[in-house]
Formats: sequence, C-alpha cells, structure tokens
Amino acid sequence: MKKKTWVSSLYIVLVMIYLLIPLLATAVYSMFQKWTGKLPEGFTLQNYVELLTEQDFMLSLGRTVIICIVPIFLTVLLVLLALFVVTIYFPRLEKYVQLLCMVPYMIQGVILSVSIISLYAGSPTILGNRLVMLVGAYCIIILPHIYQGIRNSMHAVNMPMLLEAAEMLGASKIYGFFRVIVPNIISGITVSSLLAVGLIFGDYVLVRNIAGTGFKNVQVYLFLTMKSSSTKASAVFVIIMITTFLITLLVLFLQSRDTKKRLQKVKG
Amino acid sequence: MKQRSSKYLYLLVLLPFLVVAILFEIIPLLMIVVNSFRPEGGGAGVTLAHYATIFTKPLYKKAILNSITISLTSSAFGIVIAFLGGMAARRAGKGSKLHNAYLTVLNMTSNFAGVPLAFAYMILLGNSGILKQWIPFLQDFDLYTSTGLNMIYVYFQIPLSTLLMIPAFDGIRQEWQEASTLMGCSAAGFWTRIGAPVLLPSILGTVSVLFANALAAYATAYALLMNNFALLPINVSGMFVGDVTQRKEMGGALSVVMMILMVIAMGANNAIVNRQRKGGARK
Repeated sequence: MKKKTWVSSLYIVLVMIYLLIPLLATAVYSMFQKWTGKLPEGFTLQNYVELLTEQDFMLSLGRTVIICIVPIFLTVLLVLLALFVVTIYFPRLEKYVQLLCMVPYMIQGVILSVSIISLYAGSPTILGNRLVMLVGAYCIIILPHIYQGIRNSMHAVNMPMLLEAAEMLGASKIYGFFRVIVPNIISGITVSSLLAVGLIFGDYVLVRNIAGTGFKNVQVYLFLTMKSSSTKASAVFVIIMITTFLITLLVLFLQSRDTKKRLQKVKG
Repeated sequence: MKQRSSKYLYLLVLLPFLVVAILFEIIPLLMIVVNSFRPEGGGAGVTLAHYATIFTKPLYKKAILNSITISLTSSAFGIVIAFLGGMAARRAGKGSKLHNAYLTVLNMTSNFAGVPLAFAYMILLGNSGILKQWIPFLQDFDLYTSTGLNMIYVYFQIPLSTLLMIPAFDGIRQEWQEASTLMGCSAAGFWTRIGAPVLLPSILGTVSVLFANALAAYATAYALLMNNFALLPINVSGMFVGDVTQRKEMGGALSVVMMILMVIAMGANNAIVNRQRKGGARK
C-alpha cells in the first residue's frame, strides 16, 4: 500500500513539473541577455525596464484594463436588472433569459466574432464602430459566467425570503433588491467578474477578428513582439502571466472565504 | 388594474439586457446561418452550394478533418492524464500538502493558453529551443507541425480535464474498494471493473468539454502556425478578416459546420448529465 502512495505522489509531481516547465523556463529566459547554450548568460532586468518605460506597451496595458472594465460593468448591471425583474415579476420568462445567457457558451469566440463583423462592419450607425462591436462581443462572451455567478448566489442567500423580510419592514422591492440582496451577493458578483476579467484578459481571437491591429491590447502586443524580439516578448509574457495568476489567486481566496463563512453559519 | 399595468412597466427594466442580447447575439447568429444558404455575390434565392463545396473541396474537408482529429487526440490524452491524476490525487488524500499544491498548479495553469502558451513552447522547443540543448533526442523535433500543435493542445487540456475529474473521484467510496479487496479483487481490477464504470458519465462529460474546448481554440494554433495549417476556426476567420473581401456566404456555411460540431459535443455532455441525474433519482 505504501509503495502505491509513492507512485501516485510521483505522478502528481511529474504532472506539476510538466505544467510548470514552460512557465518557469520562459520566466528565466526573460531575465537574461541570451540563452543559446545549456545555461542562460548575462543576468539583466533590461527587458523589464525597457518595457515599463515604453509608451506603446503602457498604452496597450491601459487599453486592456479599460476593455476589461467596461463590458464587465455593463454585463453585471444588465444581468442584475434582468434577473431582478424576471425572478420577482415574471418567473415564467426566466427560462428564456437563461437560454439567452447560456447560448454564448456553445458558440465561443471565433463564430461570435465573425458573425458580428460580417453583420456590422461598414455600417454607418454607431454599431459600425469597431470598439462598440468589441464591447458588445465581450458582453456576450462573459454573459454565461456572470449569469451563473449571480444566479447561484441569489439562490444561496434565499432571495425571496430576504425580500419578503425587507418588504415587511417597509422597504419597496427595488430598494430591497439593491440595498439588501445586492450587498449580500456582492462577493459572488466579484468572483464571477474576476473570472470574466481572466477571460477578456486572455482573449486574442475577438480582438484580432473584430478590431484588427487597430486596438492593440497586451495579447496583440505579445503576438507582435514575439515576431521581432523573443527576450522582450518573454518579459511581456511574464507580466501577462503574473496578472493572470493574481486574478486566479484572488478568485480562489474569495471562494474559500465564502465557503468558510457558509460553513460557520451552518454550524452556528 | 393599476397593479397590473405597473407590473408590465417593469418589463422596461428588462429592455437593456434584451437590446444587447438581440444586437450582439441573436441577430448576428441568425444572419450567419441565413447567409450560409444565400448564393455568393448577394443574389436572391436559397442554395446548398456552399455546403456541397465544403464537403467536396479538399481544402475545407482537410480543415474539418484536422480540427476533429486534433480535438479527439488532445481530448484522449487529456482524459487519460486526468484519470490517472484524479486517482493519484485521491490516494494523496484531500487536504494533504501535495493535493493542495496540485490543485494550485492546475488552477494557475488553467488560464494558460492562446498566444502566451504558444510563445512559451517556441522558447522551449522552437528552432533554437532551450530544451533542445538539454535533451539530445529532441534535436530534430519540429514544433511547427501538427505534432507540435497537438502537444500544445494536450498541455492546455490537462488542467481543465484534471480539475473536472478530481471531484468525480470523490464519488468513489473507500468502502467499495475495501469490499472488493475482501472479495479478492486486485487494485487494477477494482479500477477497471468498478471505478471506471462508475466514473463513466464523468469521463464522457469531460471528454465532450475537452473536445469543444479544442475545437474552438484559435489563438494557440494561429500564433504557432499562422494561416499555414488548415483548421476550422482559422479557415472561418480567414473568410472574414484580412486583406481579402469578406466571403459571408461561404464563411457562414463553414461557421455553421463548426457550430454543429460544437452543439454535438455540448449536447452529448448535457445528455450525459441529465441521464446521470435521472439515474441518481431512481435510487
């Protein structure tokens, strides 16, 4: 029995090494002048200094942040409003809202992006604007995640009961929803928003297909840089990966905190 | 009466959501399906010519075949690695240090895909890749081929599949294993004759998620091979983006084929989940 535990531990360690090698090797690569022999030569942070003082890169970071925030804020707001109306006043419509929210899960980036550009490219209205298309496409892509996050946490806090209590105390439904329900599910909203940040941050296909090189986010920046300088690109890579990990860690932390809280409530 | 009309006033609150969904989800998708039945050049009428072209012209056939092959291969590798991983994680014990480290690494790498992943592999195994200095037999390995692409696909399937399989192994009770050992069954016998059948729905469900995941992947393949490899998502994008004029009709038909493949994969997953739920209720 003991021998078998040893084998499974070895297996886990091997898989972890396999998964970590590309990350670590590229991270080390970014901190040296060149790596053409067995070992890297010439430790330097020059790549990072160059990158962080380059306006082009900082602008692409800024664009990425903005293109993350706007669609997520919009989608959270729209889904909250929709779920508020549907769960309280029109429960029969709920399954249609759910359908609308889950369809994007099946289509994913490529098809959504080409169907949006084939429809609106060249349109004289505001929809012909590439940025408007991009924001709209991101709203749809993150919709399933935001919807599920919000709906699950509404169930978890037992929304009808909370609303009834608020109404008995003299609050209107709208007041009850936004001042009682929303604060109670804010951590669920945060978690699903962070997942959405991860999605948009890692996106390349929508940006490329819809905005072309006209909207250079960090992924496009990495794509262009890796064709010209692999050491500089590796520094971009490290910055992207660190940001992604921070987002993941934050999600895991918030989720575990939530479960703990819930367990404590059950015990108490 | 007043109550009723004010209730319908609330439908207005639903409106912003509907506007966004209709403008960026429903109309675009409907139009791409409609376009796929239109003759090229914008004439009137309905035609199946584009679908006929897809299934006769070697270029398109190859793209579909390549997409299905790479999705199936990478899913097969992914599920085997995940199954062994789930078994190993269960043996390591929930809450043990190794188990936690494993989960952390899997979660960390689960967002590692697309352009950054392709780039990291170029550093490792590209023309002057680091690993080639260390491991002689990799010297002749060419990353810029379908084998190389497959390898990268397998990489991003591992975290996803393992994270889906680990919870499934919680359903295997220690008592079953003890009972089977008492009756003279070996460990291997337990896993092949009891473990795998019990886990079969989870395995099939995970495979369909993996298949869909690989099928939709675009950035990884594009960053590695640009347009030099026939793959459904790359061909679809090529019809609409770039220097050439958009080929809405042909591109629409290709998109519909891709959507059908996605729906089959996802539909299989739903069917499995539903059957499992029903089976659970019967007990």
